[in-house]
Amino acid sequence: MPSKQEPATCQQRPTVALGLEGSANKLGVGIIRHFPPPPAGSGQRRRPAEVLANIRHTYITPPGEGFLPRDTANHHRSFVVKLVKDALKTSGLTPHDIDCVCFTKGPGMGAPLQSVAIAARTISLMWNKPLVGVNHCVGHIEMGREITGATNPVVLYVSGGNTQVIAYSHHRYRIFGETLDIAVGNCLDRFARTLQIPNDPSPGYNIELLARKGKHYVELPYTVKGMDVSMSGILAYIDQVAIDILNGNPRYADDEDGGGGGKTIITKEDLCFSLQETIFAMLVEITERAMAHVGSQQVLIVGGVGCNERLQEMMAIMARDRGGQVYATDERFCIDNGIMIAHAGLLAYGTGFKTSLEDSVCTQRFRTDEVYIAWRDD
Amino acid sequence: MTLFRKLWSFAYPGFSFSHFHRVMATRTLSVMPLGNVTLPSAISEALALTLIAQGAEAQIYFSVEHPFIPATYLTGTNSQPSAGYILKYRPPKRYRHNALDAQLTKHRTLSEARILYKLFLAGISVPQLIAVDPRQGLIWMENIDGQSLKSWIWAQETEMEERQVDEGEDAQAQKRVHIIKPVLLAVGSEIAKLHFLETVHGDLTTSNVLLRDSSRVEAITVTFSDKPMVKDPVIIDFGLAQQSTLPEDKAVDLYVLERAFISTHPIHSEEYVEWVLEGYVAGFGRGKKTAMFKVNEIMRKLDAVRLRGRKRSMVG
Repeated sequence: MPSKQEPATCQQRPTVALGLEGSANKLGVGIIRHFPPPPAGSGQRRRPAEVLANIRHTYITPPGEGFLPRDTANHHRSFVVKLVKDALKTSGLTPHDIDCVCFTKGPGMGAPLQSVAIAARTISLMWNKPLVGVNHCVGHIEMGREITGATNPVVLYVSGGNTQVIAYSHHRYRIFGETLDIAVGNCLDRFARTLQIPNDPSPGYNIELLARKGKHYVELPYTVKGMDVSMSGILAYIDQVAIDILNGNPRYADDEDGGGGGKTIITKEDLCFSLQETIFAMLVEITERAMAHVGSQQVLIVGGVGCNERLQEMMAIMARDRGGQVYATDERFCIDNGIMIAHAGLLAYGTGFKTSLEDSVCTQRFRTDEVYIAWRDD
Repeated sequence: MTLFRKLWSFAYPGFSFSHFHRVMATRTLSVMPLGNVTLPSAISEALALTLIAQGAEAQIYFSVEHPFIPATYLTGTNSQPSAGYILKYRPPKRYRHNALDAQLTKHRTLSEARILYKLFLAGISVPQLIAVDPRQGLIWMENIDGQSLKSWIWAQETEMEERQVDEGEDAQAQKRVHIIKPVLLAVGSEIAKLHFLETVHGDLTTSNVLLRDSSRVEAITVTFSDKPMVKDPVIIDFGLAQQSTLPEDKAVDLYVLERAFISTHPIHSEEYVEWVLEGYVAGFGRGKKTAMFKVNEIMRKLDAVRLRGRKRSMVG
């Protein structure tokens, strides 16, 4: 991937970026402003980035259905113009004020990525602004750091397509552990499909709500392999239990303290509760390993599943026991959004990075550690 | 040590107390217990325990005595006192559901103890299992009196460097062949025995191999600084070990060790890895046809793993 790499330019004026994100079923447009760093030795604090617009539209499918690439791309194509216009209106800026147009280069679903990349190219040519291709995962990490102020955390990136434990070292976000098969969000979404739970606002959130009512823990497979996790076996198992229950073959809880004397029927809520308890425990465990390794006291949770309050709670207990702390953001920044693409893109742009029109292709496979993080010096 | 080196030195970490130098009991290394995870009071009150390592999953304590076992049990003679005991403790994790936590602690403690004992019975040099309490997450094992392979190599390298002025490069290379090579051959051969029993370690690093000063017959005699020294490699930490018949898993085991050498002993790592593998092939083969077939398969896989790294390319 040849891209122009110029010597780092120290921006003397504020810069503004437009970010377009559409790697999955969310189409996001964001506008962010960065301020130049205070002069060295002045003792002034760095001014945080300013979010000028953060607009998102989600392609929601009926219960029991997932989003197909072609339909999702169609959704993005239909909404992207409206969203860009809305973003400009919200920010009160004109195309003239924008310095660069950032878009998601990958990873993600091919068709939605392409439709958004085409939109980005069009805008870039129309307004005569440089393009900056951004790695989706790096976008999540950088936005999380900016919002929470975590300096050098171990990052747990959990979403519908990704499950990674990441730590920064020598200008790369290195992957410590990851899923060996499907992502945690994918596991939750597919289980929601089995249970026919609505996809509005998101299947994961609806599972979280059901899980809060769950009482009985159903034993599920637990698959941590060193630093990595595997989710597909768990999904296959719990899917089967759910199908049994839905077909009118009840299962009974076997916990002794349940009080039911072996006669308590397992409910949908119990299954959601057990699924969350199991897979989140796996995630917290691999995160703890990574923390022990790099000797870090901070954890940052990013990605759509990062909104889940039970995951945040479990992580907080683990971190507290280790004498550390957890940083998490809310749905505006956790769930895919345009602002994170704008933010990470602007960071790269500040070091002289641009993506030429010929290189502005997107890729479904784009590992987090492929990106050279020129803007961090530690 | 830079973060990168740290990252790779434990490329496939488990509960990783590996980055603490395993030290002999007499040396005091104070590791503060984190938060409120401590041993059951019945044990901590009865015995004088020293926390010597703390990882993500387990804590390692040293104790001079065991509650029931006479001090001479391990040595078998009355004249020699035992080197003491190691207590490995998996504290409960408060973040996970009680039922899940109990199940995991029990399962992992048992599985580690089983593998440890199986290997011990098979004559592989691992710490002897003494007792296990799966519900409490406790494993008692013998303490290995000796330093880790990592710190031993570091010590040898430092000593050689100090003599560089009057000895020169060639003499040093000779010394390495003379001193470090026999030990690494033995390490390779020990790993081969492990793999021959279809067991993979899961976290092979130079800190998870201890060098016991021993008088065992098969131990290698190393002469250095005019003092006769006997080094007997002992593999520890089977927290991530598992049974596997796949050549792939064994290749990954070797690859992880290779990465550990590259990150912790970068200057001569190529030489070191070569020696370990030489010992590995020799330890595996012993002229038997099936064993040679097996080891060739593993070596082929190792080349493949080297090319792609441990991780596959990520999709979506």
